[in-house]
Amino acid sequence: MRADLLVSERKRRVRRASGLVGHSLLLSITSSSAIVVLFIFYFIFRDALPFFRLEGITEFLGSTRWYPSSSPAEFGAAAIFFGSLLVTLGAITVAMPLGVSAAVCLSDILPFNLRQAVKPVIEILAAIPSVAYGFFALVVLAPLLQENGGRILSVAVWVLGVPVLGLAVALVGDLVVGRAGSRHSLARLTAYAVLGVGALLLLSAASRALAGLEISSGTNALNVSIILGIMALPTIVSVSEDALQAAGRELREGSYALGATRAETIMRVIIPAASSGIAAAVILGIMRVIGETMVVWMASGNAAQIPSPWYNLLEPIRTLTATIAGDMGEADHVTGSARYHVLFAMAMALLVISFACNLASEWIVQRQRKKMGK
Amino acid sequence: MQLATRKLLDRSFTTLGYLSIALMAVSLLVILTPIFGRGLGAMVFKGTTEFRLLQLEKFERGDRAKVEAEQALARQARQPVYDMLAGFRQELNTMDVADQEKYRAPLRQVEEAVRELLGPFPGEQRPVMPRMQYGQTRWERALVKQQEVVSKLEYDYSDPTRMGVQVLVPRVEDFAGTSLEPIFTYVEAHLAEMLRPRWTFYPRFLTDPSLDSHMFGGIWPEVLGTFYLTLGAMLFALPMGVISAVYLVEYARESHLINFLRTCISTLAGVPSIVFALFGLAFFINSLRLTEGKSLLAGSLTLGCLVLPTVIRASEEAIRAVPHTYKEAALSLGAGRWHTIMTVILPAALPGILTGTVISMGRAAGETAPIIFTAAVSVGRPLNLFTAKFWEILSQPTPALPWNVYNLCTEHEAVDEIRHVQYGMVLALVLLVLLLNATAIILRARISRKLRG
Amino acid sequence: MTEGKLAMVVPGRRSEISVDAPLRDPVVIAEEFSIFYGSNEAVCQVSFNIPRNLVTAVIGPSGCGKSTYLRAINRMNDLIPRCHTKGRLVFEGQEVYGPKVDVASLRQRIGMVFQKPNPFPKSVFDNVAYGPRILGVSNRTRLAEIIERSLRRAALWDEVKDRLGDNALSLSGGQQQRMCIARALAVDPDVLLMDEPTSALDPKSTAHIEDLIGELRGQYTIVIVTHNMQQAARVSDFTAFLYEGWLIEYGLTEQIFTKPAKKQTEDYITGRFG
Repeated sequence: MRADLLVSERKRRVRRASGLVGHSLLLSITSSSAIVVLFIFYFIFRDALPFFRLEGITEFLGSTRWYPSSSPAEFGAAAIFFGSLLVTLGAITVAMPLGVSAAVCLSDILPFNLRQAVKPVIEILAAIPSVAYGFFALVVLAPLLQENGGRILSVAVWVLGVPVLGLAVALVGDLVVGRAGSRHSLARLTAYAVLGVGALLLLSAASRALAGLEISSGTNALNVSIILGIMALPTIVSVSEDALQAAGRELREGSYALGATRAETIMRVIIPAASSGIAAAVILGIMRVIGETMVVWMASGNAAQIPSPWYNLLEPIRTLTATIAGDMGEADHVTGSARYHVLFAMAMALLVISFACNLASEWIVQRQRKKMGK
Repeated sequence: MQLATRKLLDRSFTTLGYLSIALMAVSLLVILTPIFGRGLGAMVFKGTTEFRLLQLEKFERGDRAKVEAEQALARQARQPVYDMLAGFRQELNTMDVADQEKYRAPLRQVEEAVRELLGPFPGEQRPVMPRMQYGQTRWERALVKQQEVVSKLEYDYSDPTRMGVQVLVPRVEDFAGTSLEPIFTYVEAHLAEMLRPRWTFYPRFLTDPSLDSHMFGGIWPEVLGTFYLTLGAMLFALPMGVISAVYLVEYARESHLINFLRTCISTLAGVPSIVFALFGLAFFINSLRLTEGKSLLAGSLTLGCLVLPTVIRASEEAIRAVPHTYKEAALSLGAGRWHTIMTVILPAALPGILTGTVISMGRAAGETAPIIFTAAVSVGRPLNLFTAKFWEILSQPTPALPWNVYNLCTEHEAVDEIRHVQYGMVLALVLLVLLLNATAIILRARISRKLRG
Repeated sequence: MTEGKLAMVVPGRRSEISVDAPLRDPVVIAEEFSIFYGSNEAVCQVSFNIPRNLVTAVIGPSGCGKSTYLRAINRMNDLIPRCHTKGRLVFEGQEVYGPKVDVASLRQRIGMVFQKPNPFPKSVFDNVAYGPRILGVSNRTRLAEIIERSLRRAALWDEVKDRLGDNALSLSGGQQQRMCIARALAVDPDVLLMDEPTSALDPKSTAHIEDLIGELRGQYTIVIVTHNMQQAARVSDFTAFLYEGWLIEYGLTEQIFTKPAKKQTEDYITGRFG
């Protein structure tokens, strides 16, 4: 087994050649993985541009008249863009507070055993296929909303309102009493009582107003917003939790050592320190929601209109993704027509938006890393 | 702020946190419970004698003698109904024109409803469509159909402030005073004898082909299609993904090209799934013309592109996690770089790569959008891997669980009749994905044990 | 002076060695050899020889470049991107950093044992067989012979002969290190480099390994880097003392530890710094 230290010139050249071949083979395979995305951009753009050449961009973005199959065809997609925006907004309104507080609870409040028990819940929520969520939205939630919508909303107002308003009452009461300078516990109790009664009145008025609501169709923007919010939760929770953990033990120890409570430490020190990570998490959640197809296709009502007023979530709307999925079936065999190309134009818009979100979240993370000097 | 308030705030903060976790868990429960509950109902239900007859005739299962005996008993119980209907029909022909007009349409409605409930009348020519050849196979549907026999749906427009309300009007009013009047109470009282329901366990729901677009039978074509698509996607994504990961970790040196490649891969991870669908259509089918129209091949390739970034990311992490002392030891013994990768690094990274693979499989199985334009059809023949020719399988479109759930819920002509099939399909899909994820979690737990000895 | 500290030196064994062994029969020759990390000179123009079939210790405070020097001999420094060398390092008459050198073969003839035992997550058999398998030995009987011989030489055979199929990670720390030594010996190297081989082990295992070094001496050239001076005094024949990259003194261990020529050496050995 005595090995020669020196290798012959020929062997060395052979070895270098085979090394080069191997290296280039690996590089080309890796490049093909990356090239897929370039192909995607190329093919989508290639089939989207003819639409703009045929129809121009002003009607597409400006008009809400979407009648692609009538003649003359009208391609006003403003309502559809609005639909995507509305459900994204709705979903993030649901998912962000819920997700961030869940992440905070996971990183700082829960003991280790409970944390291990909660993680599978999040993983299962993330793993459930989108068509299953869409099925639930269409078959279970929509009839529920249609028949008992008002009642459910009024109960929801109570369930969500009591903790939030209770906290607000405590805070405001304390502030008022502090400002007034009185140290009597009686004064504080009076303040709480007054504010508490006010809050209860507010809640019952709101709930009564909602109970009388008639929801004409269960497949609407509210339905979709709730389900999309639940779907975005795992993303927001896990990325936010990572960001909160990354803030580090030293920061927490420093705050506790100064006598701050856990809530104060989290609100004043940890969340600001992790703010960029949380922002990135929300952007990733937005990406997830905007690109979601099946849930909106099945349960949004698919009406290309802007609700009146614009924030009325109880009306059906249509999103970009559902339009692409739904209209392609008819447009498929008419390749070359504006109907076919307009769908690619919508896909191009989606691609550009998600690419921008991707860049934004990475930029935020990079900037934070530079600030922390990592 | 006073200390008491600060403490109160702290405690309410904690409560809020727990509340949000509870809300998350509750929403998961709310979503999964109906799916599991009614999904199981596709396989565990009260089946009628019609069900057993169908299994015998179409699937050649069951004891012929027992089924026929049962059918005889059922026919005995049903005979009065048929007698009453036939009798009244004869009566109708002898009535005067005005009465005939009054009773003709309601009679036809009753006859139709009875046909849907019990199957074709004895002595009638057998219909062509399977769904009309049998009465109700599930007891729960039979009860619904019984309602339709006994009463009819009408709209009450009396209240001008609300839209028309649905009201059930008993049919017996239409036939008051005639010989047909007792039929309704008879049907209500003797339904169980006419259909003989029994608790049935039908696990073959998962492996039976569907009959008459899912009116009867099972969901095997969809299950098989999902299996093929997932397998095809991984056959494409796994080799490319692992090789790319090996290159990026072990060979690549920091350069503009490598940074560009990494950005491309992370951008790919963010592309919406419907854009993948359009890309698959535009590239694989319209440009490359791999196949004439939708096909398993195009669908698998599209799904493969979708999961590729996940495979690369998981493999990269797994390879980076291998302690670099292993690499040092191998190199110090005289191993070449490629040999080290193949004999030490990849085997050590294998469990992590496997976990990423299984998670990607779950993703590929559950995605609907990418296969809408590239592979999925609502009804198709399941192609056996061992008997059909390879290219035949690859070039055909195929049904698949996720797409067909959508299709059955929205575009099927009898959406309410096949509710149980929809739930069953969703359950099958959710179980498949959860099983794959559970496997990944178990694998992940075994990795840490193995690497730590 | 320094006599009290050196009661551990066993004078009898050392008397056979002649002081010019490094010059007469060197295995590794360093001539004005420097190693740079980027622009930082970690090893500065060292010149000394490693004599054949004897134990040479390289000592010095942490950061003095002794590990860097060791890893240059079998070119493990190649793994570090900005590392480059100047001067000559010669192994058996061949320039180690010469253009035509086959690094894999070099590493097969110069084996290495690391500070922390690093067995592969494979069976004991597969660990020790790794080297021979690379060299093309596939016959199972032949492999078994080599493995038994290597494990015997590493004084581990009796403890693992019934457990060859077990995962190597299930052995104790000391056993793992001896297995790594066996693994390095399985390819029959000329030189064995040991980078602080006992610093992660308990005293009993340390004693085992030091005994092992004594047994291997005479068949293998051993270079051991250690921060434990007593260990260097116990096991080595020649000692090199490095400080901040420079070779301060090199000579017979007995002489270095009883009558060091340089004041810095004396200060280090008596514990005044480092």
